[in-house]
Amino acid sequence: MTVHLYHWEPNANSGKPMLTLAEKGVPFESHYTDLLKFDQHQPDYLAINPDGTIPTLVHGARVLTESTPMMEYIDDEFEGPPLKPRDPKERWRMRWWMRFLDAYYGPSLSMIGWSVFVGPAVRQRPKAELEAAIARIPLESRRIAWRKAMFNEFSAVELDESRRRVRFCTGVLEQHLTRHEWIAGKAFSLGDVNGFNLGYALPLSQPDHCNDQKTPHIMEWLRKIYERPATKEVWKLGRTTMAERVKFLERGRNA
Amino acid sequence: MLELYTSEPNTFFLKPLIALNEKQVDFEIRWFDAENFEQFALTELEGLENEVEARLHLEREGPLLRHDRTLIANSGFMLEYIAEALPGAALLPESPYDLYRAHASAQFLGAQLGSLVPVLGCMKYLAPKLMARAGVADVISRIEPEERRQGWMALLDGTYTPEILVSARERLEVPVQRIEKQLAEGPWLAGADYSIADIDAFALLRPVPDLAPEVANEKRTPRVLEYLARIGQRPAVKASLAISRSGNPGQHFVPGVEPSRWG
Repeated sequence: MTVHLYHWEPNANSGKPMLTLAEKGVPFESHYTDLLKFDQHQPDYLAINPDGTIPTLVHGARVLTESTPMMEYIDDEFEGPPLKPRDPKERWRMRWWMRFLDAYYGPSLSMIGWSVFVGPAVRQRPKAELEAAIARIPLESRRIAWRKAMFNEFSAVELDESRRRVRFCTGVLEQHLTRHEWIAGKAFSLGDVNGFNLGYALPLSQPDHCNDQKTPHIMEWLRKIYERPATKEVWKLGRTTMAERVKFLERGRNA
Repeated sequence: MLELYTSEPNTFFLKPLIALNEKQVDFEIRWFDAENFEQFALTELEGLENEVEARLHLEREGPLLRHDRTLIANSGFMLEYIAEALPGAALLPESPYDLYRAHASAQFLGAQLGSLVPVLGCMKYLAPKLMARAGVADVISRIEPEERRQGWMALLDGTYTPEILVSARERLEVPVQRIEKQLAEGPWLAGADYSIADIDAFALLRPVPDLAPEVANEKRTPRVLEYLARIGQRPAVKASLAISRSGNPGQHFVPGVEPSRWG
């Protein structure tokens, strides 16, 4: 049974199942879905995932649309190296951190990312075209997000709050990686797959807060994940300058 | 040693109680009064493993499980921990896909019901009590971290206007109707058997017919009402509700999950 993965760049939510499949050694048919061309709101995609969110994993009759639970499915369903700790306490820590990354850290980073990358990338198109694109989005929360990005309607207050949270979380993550080698504890896990997708560009996007002097443990953790063969393989599937940013993690490059 | 730090058995607090009672394991209850901010004074938890995570826990308020020297926070992941780490009845779906459905359901309901139900419950039952108490604003102004302080402050500072509360009730429609539809396909939310997905949904759904009767009622959501009644008959659920000190646990709320700030 072929695994079909509908994904955008190896980044954030799309990158989570991509890197998990690669770490497990599970071959998959890649369907590049261009977020910046609104492929995810076209009828053929909505027929697969009516929410119009990316990624979607299709395995036989099963359709999976939530990226973090999707990673656990891939780990449970397929052969290959286990990506969840055996110890229930470490498993709990892995899941707690994935939620912290997804629900607290991620949205703040994503808001900043959309204001500097996604918004400008689509904004030059005619207003009528953008309005029509918004009208096709099924979820209200996504309509609001796209409208803000397209028409640069981010308020200074909300961007400041996102920056505050990113600084705070970067400190919490650095402390965590001082106590534990990996997110869950002693071994690489889905928590690290999740964290890398969210944070691989932190040293570039937050150079004053994430660097070799202030956050040496985050830097070492990111470099170790960057050096894994699966990461190299997955980031080759990127088509924009966004994915290129991963090369900043090459050792010696910024020494 | 297994200890559950809990307040009145409603919403987040109800989940681990049900799971522990379903497992029939020995555990001690360490009671605190969440409406009186006693969760901020649990100094005996300092220095335990995962103290950082427990302090930051993202439901803002909620139960804590102490297993020997380790703290387990977040009621949803606590259910998984109880299911995976303790002996007794199996509470996890067996197939990887059913497990995915349990994870996805808990994530969706946690974000939707977990942010809306506590707001509606707090404004109906807790806010009037807080306003009648002297010095509450001072206590709230000292709460850390900032997100938890804001959750409490919003109950008093006029954030929740009548219009916002109407819209919160309307937004319950999507998650409640999603469960109604799922129950048309089978009696449980993730696979053929009762599981942590049902414990999670039950705890968050139970106050909805009271808080938003126009959203959950016999006519519009017969399956949800039957589901609540059916789970409510389980001995483990009855035992969990019976620890209530007030006699009406469904009327006790604290601020819940922060609404999504960004898509």
